[in-house]
Amino acid sequence: LLPQVSVINTVDTSHEDMIHDAQMDYYGTRLATCSSDRSVKIFDVRNGGQILIADLRGHEGPVWQVAWAHPMYGNILASCSYDRKVIIWKEENGTWEKTYEYTGHDSSVNSVCWAPHDYGLILACGSSDGAISLLSYTGDGQWEVKKISNAHTIGCNAVSWAPAVVPGSLIEQPSGQKPNYIKRFASGGCDNLVKIWKEEEGQWKEEQKLEAHSDWVRDVAWAPSIGLPTSTIASCSQDGRVFIWTCDDASGNSWSPKLLHKFNDVVWHVSWSITANILAVSGGDNKVTLWKESVDGLWACISDVNKGQGGVSAVTEGQQNEQ
Amino acid sequence: MKLKEIERTAVQAWSPANNHPIYLATGTSAQQLDASFSTNANLEIFEVDFRDPSLDMKQKGALPASNRFHKLMWGNFGNGSAEPSGVLVGGGDNGVLTMYSVQRILTSKGDPVIGQTEKHSGPVRALDFNPFQSNLLASGANDSEIFIWDLNNFSVPMTPGTKSQPHEDISVVSWNRQVQHILSSAHPSGKAVVWDLRKNEPIIKVSDHSNRMHCSGMAWHPEVATQLVLSSEDDRLPVIQIWDLRFATSPLSQLEGHTRGVLAVSWCQADPELLLSSAKDNRILCWNPSMGEVVYELPIRSQWCFDVQWCPRNPSVFSAATFDGWINVYSVMGGNLEAQQRTQADKISSSFNNLDPFGTGQSLPPLQVPEQVTQTTLIPPLKKPPKWIRRPVGVSFAFGGKLITFGHTKAPGQQMQQTYPHQVFISQVTTETEFLLRSKELQMALQSGNLLDYCQGKIQTAKLPVDENLWNFLKVNLEQDSRTKLLKLLGYSKEDLQKKITSCLSNGIPDKQPLPEAGDKNAGPDQLLMNSSDDVAAVSSSSAFFDNLIPQNMSTLEIPVTEDTDGLISQALLLGNFEGAVELCMRAERFADAIILAIAGGDKLLKETQKRYFAKQKTNLSVLLSSIVQQNWQDIVCMCDLQSWKEALAILLTYSKHEDYTQLCDMLGARLESEGDAALSNDACLCYISSGNVERLVECWVKNHETSSPLALQVQAL
Repeated sequence: LLPQVSVINTVDTSHEDMIHDAQMDYYGTRLATCSSDRSVKIFDVRNGGQILIADLRGHEGPVWQVAWAHPMYGNILASCSYDRKVIIWKEENGTWEKTYEYTGHDSSVNSVCWAPHDYGLILACGSSDGAISLLSYTGDGQWEVKKISNAHTIGCNAVSWAPAVVPGSLIEQPSGQKPNYIKRFASGGCDNLVKIWKEEEGQWKEEQKLEAHSDWVRDVAWAPSIGLPTSTIASCSQDGRVFIWTCDDASGNSWSPKLLHKFNDVVWHVSWSITANILAVSGGDNKVTLWKESVDGLWACISDVNKGQGGVSAVTEGQQNEQ
Repeated sequence: MKLKEIERTAVQAWSPANNHPIYLATGTSAQQLDASFSTNANLEIFEVDFRDPSLDMKQKGALPASNRFHKLMWGNFGNGSAEPSGVLVGGGDNGVLTMYSVQRILTSKGDPVIGQTEKHSGPVRALDFNPFQSNLLASGANDSEIFIWDLNNFSVPMTPGTKSQPHEDISVVSWNRQVQHILSSAHPSGKAVVWDLRKNEPIIKVSDHSNRMHCSGMAWHPEVATQLVLSSEDDRLPVIQIWDLRFATSPLSQLEGHTRGVLAVSWCQADPELLLSSAKDNRILCWNPSMGEVVYELPIRSQWCFDVQWCPRNPSVFSAATFDGWINVYSVMGGNLEAQQRTQADKISSSFNNLDPFGTGQSLPPLQVPEQVTQTTLIPPLKKPPKWIRRPVGVSFAFGGKLITFGHTKAPGQQMQQTYPHQVFISQVTTETEFLLRSKELQMALQSGNLLDYCQGKIQTAKLPVDENLWNFLKVNLEQDSRTKLLKLLGYSKEDLQKKITSCLSNGIPDKQPLPEAGDKNAGPDQLLMNSSDDVAAVSSSSAFFDNLIPQNMSTLEIPVTEDTDGLISQALLLGNFEGAVELCMRAERFADAIILAIAGGDKLLKETQKRYFAKQKTNLSVLLSSIVQQNWQDIVCMCDLQSWKEALAILLTYSKHEDYTQLCDMLGARLESEGDAALSNDACLCYISSGNVERLVECWVKNHETSSPLALQVQAL
């Protein structure tokens, strides 16, 4: 059955320049947006409404991404900008304020992503200076910084955390012990690589180097997990390709790529649904497509979302991937 | 941020944008000599691999060249088939133009030189591939000499028109980026000529009246067809002029920032707001030409850069060739040189080849290279965020199957004026659409109680007859008088059948049809199956064969619905029309069937049927049967032969209801008393006893036994 995509709310952000990111909070009640107009805005979008809650000024360049922290830590939003800064905003008594500003990067910070809440309040930041920073909240308004220098030559474009679920935990018998989580995240960069980083004894190490793209990796998205044995990462690139990387072994060493599709234009963004069974792909042709893996392992486009019309347009049924 | 370096005094050429991996070709520079005074010439190809963090570039191919190079160009010609990696064209001294197969250089197989001409005079300093037709190459040399080469036919060049006067060197040729038949050439005198290849003549000449321009570089605007820049090598006028051919009398604007003559310009194809220039003031600047401001500056170097070139594939990367013999690759995204230091440490570490060079059994700790603070020069990135980093569209999933989308709308033909919509769309994605829809419909129907409409809707949308039937039945079930309607759905209308039965009974049609014989049970279904088709005979004979194969007890129930008696009976039964069915049976003298059916049809019908049956059957037994069945005990009592009074009494005892019993016994007794002889009169007493009618008993007894007897008294006492 083909999915139905229907616009239920059109939020007029009043941004004065290009919008670069829009993210809903955990409960789907608030929408954060950011733009080349240097602002970050937060809207209450409950019941189809759009009430501007906050217009956050503080960046001195285009703001590329926003990321909501898990609500157990309060209402916290991170933003990153071309001005080389990462700002963490927090709502206190109904007012949004800057709570921390990180200026440790030498170039545009392109991506921010919060770690699973199980690990505490940790933010990964990828920058055009090639480095990835990990900011951990240590309490009392203090943040500890770890930096992976030269993670991606010329720049890191995207970071995405692995879920805090031990692969296969759904199937295997629970041992009764607290699962031994290994912190991992994926990053994509201008060296055409997807890399997987792993924390060992408090140090971040490059665990895997995934090579398949022939141009900049624009986005990576580690799929949410319900505890099945397979780990999955989606990556998209300037070369128009979207790859689905899967790893079946527990050690996390053997990743294999599968080409989802080769688009005619740059692919900017990939995003998994919460249940990880649908991948949304956003490309330079201004089209959003939804993809789903069939039982036989083939990825098929199940919907074309036409933004302008705000609904489902012609659905390309059975548009198979072109291997 | 410096990414790569190689020590070469050479001209350079990037591989085209569609080539992967990225290569940089270098050819020994013609007009420079180092201290060795060597005049050897080499052509080399390096892979620029950014996965490798080191500053080194891997040499992927090399060959000695016959001439040193003034200019090197890498084109897509033959890409995809004959030359999968395209071709390199080098311009040398003495009018030599050489074409190389990149594939052959990389694989070291075959002669890499696939074409060479000496048609030009003097050094060939200007070369450019047509961006639309990869087989077209423009070249320029001395004496205003411009040739257009078709690489498919390399021997015979064309000219764009009559040579411009006065004759002078051609420093640059450049194809328009929008209109494929427009070519421009620039001359050291500061003059630029625009040629239209369709007209085969120069169509416009651009020159500054100051006459101090000394053209070193020229580039067309990547997106605006009428704009180009000219750079001036003259130290007195170290500017870059922006010209628009629509107002070709004077430059649109001048980029002033270099303090000495500009040696080279390169316009970024990925972002028209980025223009690189290198000058004799040792600086490399990146301009936003539309704003006239410097957006990036590479720190002062010790030597001039005579050439800068954007990397066509990786937009934030450019290469610069210096007179002191280095080719460097930089990123405009800023960063510091920390990476370089680490690389040096790695280099030293790896030079030991293994981690335990002394065989101590312990691996060496990583080398600690002392940090040189002076080297960590921070290079700020481009002031203006480049176009390629600005993500224009996006999508993200959120809780509850919500999909957030936003993006630009690219209006066709409006490349310069993009509108940025400020809407963000929140959509609901439902994957099991139909399922949810159906569930919703059902919920609504259940809530409103309007189930009939719901069913009706289902009936209308049903695709299969089976589904339609199902929904019809469900619907009817929910309606009043559902049974009748159900029967109608089955094709049985009571009214219709009544008519049939009536007509059947009146016409007597079923009588004409012989009833199925006991041994001919399959005939019915057979006839049904065969209906009235013409080839009944043939088919029935063969089907009879199969019938015989089927054991009798295996045959399934088939309900005949034909127009004969059987059919009509069964139809009547299907509709519960017992009266009709019984009537038909009676008519066909199938009494057993009739009675059985009448039993099912209720008391009234049964009695009726029994009555009719007994009316037809006139035997002794039948009277008895009739009486018993109809519970007409009075008849028995009144009509029975008095000799059978015992039996009559037995019947009464067995069947008659309590309240009737006394009366009936009395009646029997009375009959015996009055009609019978003495013996029978005595028997009458028994009847009275049975009935408990003491008075009549005593009376009868007294009548029969004149003498009073103790018995009489006893009985009375009782």
